[in-house]
Amino acid sequence: MVRFKNRYVLCEVVSEDPRCRQCIEDRAVGLAVREAIARAHGDYGLACCCVSFTVKYLNAYTGTVLLRCRKDFYRLLCSALPLVRQLESRNQRYPCYFNTLHVGGTIRTCQKFLIQYNRRQLLMLLQNCTNEEERRSIRQSVLSCSLTEEQSQSGDEEDDDDTETD
Amino acid sequence: MCRIGRWRAHGLNRSQPPFPKTSQTYQFTCEPCKSLRLHLLYLLQHRSVGYSTVALNHVIDFKEKKQEIVKPVSPSELFPSLPIVQGTSKRIKVLNRLTLVVSDPSHCNLLRSTSTNIRLYDLIAVFPKTEKLFHIACTTLDVDLVCINVTEKLPFYFRRPPVNVAIDRGIYFELLYTPAIKDSTMRRYTISNAISLMQICKGKNIVMSSAAERPLELRGPYDVANLGLLFGMSESDAKAAVSTNCRATLLHGETRKSACGVVYTVKKPRKVEEEETTLPACKRAKTQA
Repeated sequence: MVRFKNRYVLCEVVSEDPRCRQCIEDRAVGLAVREAIARAHGDYGLACCCVSFTVKYLNAYTGTVLLRCRKDFYRLLCSALPLVRQLESRNQRYPCYFNTLHVGGTIRTCQKFLIQYNRRQLLMLLQNCTNEEERRSIRQSVLSCSLTEEQSQSGDEEDDDDTETD
Repeated sequence: MCRIGRWRAHGLNRSQPPFPKTSQTYQFTCEPCKSLRLHLLYLLQHRSVGYSTVALNHVIDFKEKKQEIVKPVSPSELFPSLPIVQGTSKRIKVLNRLTLVVSDPSHCNLLRSTSTNIRLYDLIAVFPKTEKLFHIACTTLDVDLVCINVTEKLPFYFRRPPVNVAIDRGIYFELLYTPAIKDSTMRRYTISNAISLMQICKGKNIVMSSAAERPLELRGPYDVANLGLLFGMSESDAKAAVSTNCRATLLHGETRKSACGVVYTVKKPRKVEEEETTLPACKRAKTQA
């Protein structure tokens, strides 16, 4: 069967500044990644990677980003991701970095990985919980983590208070 | 496709074919001042990005007037409670590491002297500045790591004989990746120095580490392995550079504390006497908790 094969790269945007979350949007992320590829691999790299490059999924609360590119050029993309230094949108710059989590051939495999990863993160948050109500809501979220038929991304309700306090 | 979750990998900034299931990676950070310790603390607490061992670096530069090797700060003083490695239930290990920047053969005498402070460091690295010192470091010095300069053009070319001797002795070459992230000129030097090293050593015995001064300059182990691809390594070599080679370096450092790695002594609390007398020696449990 002749079809276009893609690679989906799942990453997490990590930043010290909590305001960076507002800035996570698909255009800003796409621009930042493209700029990093241009810096690392030049015009050739930028041209190759942008053949089928899009930001497929974005979650500003957890900072999860799913990128797509062609299978032949995914190495160029993956090797340029560590070089991203900042996100820029609406004339505001926030220093951040991208943490690659998983590279998959389909969106479904990335989704399965993301659900497992989120479950683990929730369990880690559970340890740092301070009051009973947060504990209860986290336990409920962990129990509802599953790949349902409607392809809904469950398990994303986390307590962001714990991740943002210094 | 590998999954970071299954790696018991870690690496601050720092400690990376299919990844082995339990692998340790580590990264080094330079520790110039107290604020970095706070940053490290923040980072380890909030973003245990997938590393299980961290080594803190103390740099001794001999260009200034003679410096004494100071006692390393014990990690338990810096971090009262270490965070848990992502995916396991063990705590992150924090080790101490010493880097000697040598530009003269007389500086190496410090390693041979039996000063007590050197023994307190878990890892010893040397940063040679000339070809002769590189040769000495690879063939005779008792170190674990030889640092490769990435911030400027190498004043000497690598030759095959000392590199092969170093590989046989179990000494690893260290590449820093944070300069590559920060600056475009440094990136060019890093890549050209790394590629010339790869052509000689064929990708073996390489360790990638960071020299981060800020928490945002650290990268996860998967990303560091991807950067290894930029430096001319094959995919399996790059993954090994972040995981198995680091573990091998740690073990190499541990052999310094023991009798050539064959025997090492550990103080244990004395077990109950009667258990030792009832069973004959051959029937006693081989390992005790």
